[in-house]
Amino acid sequence: MARRLLACEAAAGRNSEPTRSAAFRVCEKLRQPLCSLAGVAGFRSLLSRALALARAEAPSLSAVQVGADGSLQGLDALGPQKDKDMSKEGGAILIAQLLGLLLLFIGVGVTLRLVQDVWPEVAFDDRDSGKEINA
Amino acid sequence: MSTQDRVTINKLPTGVPGLDEILGGGLPEFSFNIIAGAPGSGKTTLAHQIVFANATPERPALYFTILGEPAIKMLRYQQQYTFFDQAKLNHAVRFINLSQIVLEKDLNAVLEEIAKEVEKASPGVVVVDSFRTVVRKALSGSNELELQSFIQRLALLLTSWQATTFLVGEYVEGEIRDNPVFTVADGLLWLYQSSDRNSILRKLQIVKLRGQASVPGLHTFRITHAGLQAFSRTLGLAGQQRKIPSTRRLSIGVPELDTMLGGGIPEGDSVLVAGASGTGKSVLATQFIAEGIRQGEPGIVVVFEERPQEYAGRAGSFGLDLETPQREKKLEILYLRPLDLSVDETMREILDAVVRIGAKRLVIDSLAGFEMALAPSFRMEFRESLYRMITALTGIGVTILSTVEMAESFTEFPFSTYSISFLTDDIIRLRYVSIDGQLRKILVVIKMRGGKHSNDIREYEITSAGLVISDGRLTDYQGLITGIPVRLHRSGEKEKPAGEPKPTSKG
Repeated sequence: MARRLLACEAAAGRNSEPTRSAAFRVCEKLRQPLCSLAGVAGFRSLLSRALALARAEAPSLSAVQVGADGSLQGLDALGPQKDKDMSKEGGAILIAQLLGLLLLFIGVGVTLRLVQDVWPEVAFDDRDSGKEINA
Repeated sequence: MSTQDRVTINKLPTGVPGLDEILGGGLPEFSFNIIAGAPGSGKTTLAHQIVFANATPERPALYFTILGEPAIKMLRYQQQYTFFDQAKLNHAVRFINLSQIVLEKDLNAVLEEIAKEVEKASPGVVVVDSFRTVVRKALSGSNELELQSFIQRLALLLTSWQATTFLVGEYVEGEIRDNPVFTVADGLLWLYQSSDRNSILRKLQIVKLRGQASVPGLHTFRITHAGLQAFSRTLGLAGQQRKIPSTRRLSIGVPELDTMLGGGIPEGDSVLVAGASGTGKSVLATQFIAEGIRQGEPGIVVVFEERPQEYAGRAGSFGLDLETPQREKKLEILYLRPLDLSVDETMREILDAVVRIGAKRLVIDSLAGFEMALAPSFRMEFRESLYRMITALTGIGVTILSTVEMAESFTEFPFSTYSISFLTDDIIRLRYVSIDGQLRKILVVIKMRGGKHSNDIREYEITSAGLVISDGRLTDYQGLITGIPVRLHRSGEKEKPAGEPKPTSKG
């Protein structure tokens, strides 16, 4: 699921926001409905936890922070200058961790509903979502 | 004003089995309600049930969460209930977190945010959970008048936008007085939870409901995987037409006893069979139900002390087949022995079974077992509950035979340890007597509300054919009901053993 979202946002952002990473765009798009659902503090807690988990796998995320409003800060700075592939992978891990937390807390069904509302054009397979995220 | 000029208040379903009946038909549309209770009493679950029962994409439900249970956790837990329909999420049911606004801004900002969302979504149902948090915040920074004004404006806004509103809050009973929230509210649903010894009791009360008559008093409810289930004190029979009293007599399954009863049990009566352990109460009850099946009258047997298979097996040893009628849906044997049972839940089970098979006869075997199956607190209400149960069932034409175990006394002749004889129309007393070095059994019809009955004291036996009454009265003894009779020495007669009874009938 994370990879599909990143691919979708990479394609969409190529023209409109070429400087923004796909991971940043995915986070931003999830921020609005999740803040509405869980509050800014709720979303911020989730994203901070996801970031902490992702850092263990991708040390390149060590400079990334979660802002007071729940936005990601510093993700784009990792960018192409240093190691484009590492940055991309770190972003993917972060999104996968965030979705993984949602799955853990609210299950596949509710997570899919939330995500599908943001990306209605992306097709997700209910059965494989959990596996995909951890893959 | 004529009836047709009056505004019709539509009633929304609560989604909670039993609660609509308690509310007098459902929730008044566009009403402004409070769901109050202590933590863990089921407030949020009730609110969710109402939301999922009513929300549609056209008239969605807005669920505002404020500093109570975190929304993510609430979703995590609430989706475990069967009423939680994931397909409705984000479309028909929308969760909106207002914590930040409540924390950082004032009541006007809270109202503004609610208004913005309400005007955007045009919801049919709005929930604010927990509203108590809003009130606390309000009282910390402003005066009570401002709070009252806020509640007034909120109620106006939501009613104008045709929303039925629920403010969920943790309150204690003493707070009802002088609280502006309760003054403005149209409806107040209070949920209670208390513990008694090892039992947990849940009760709800409609403290206030404008515009319609709800069922007064405290009603028990349970929370299961399906959410709340409420049990009305009137058992859903409040408006039900009572059956016109019948003059028909039902055979009890023992012809001699039918004769003693003046032709059988009047249909719709409540009969109490009282006696010590082993006197044959259950046998007689089984004969009563089996006779009903023979006559084409479906029956229910409620057992507390043995399992249905054992009960049917024991009936089989008396030549009474209870297996076939069960398969043919003419008989149900209900085994009700969960912990913390409330009488109202038991009643619901029985009533559902009565409706399911169109039962005409009901056996409760036994009242002692029934009482023991109840949570300790309900035992104190046993008599009252039993009264409601019997009245409700006989009211719909069911003939009830209850058994009650009596500790055998040789100094008195009580009819029931529960002092419930006033609840029964007819009483049959079974007891042991000591005669000629034998422990034998006698029965007597103590009371028949519906007419004359035999005053004879008759000896009986429990045989392979069930309870069998011997020929004639026991005329040679005095003080039979004491259990230690004295043989009469009539002039010219010699003292002789009482002899064996001669079975004359089959059960």
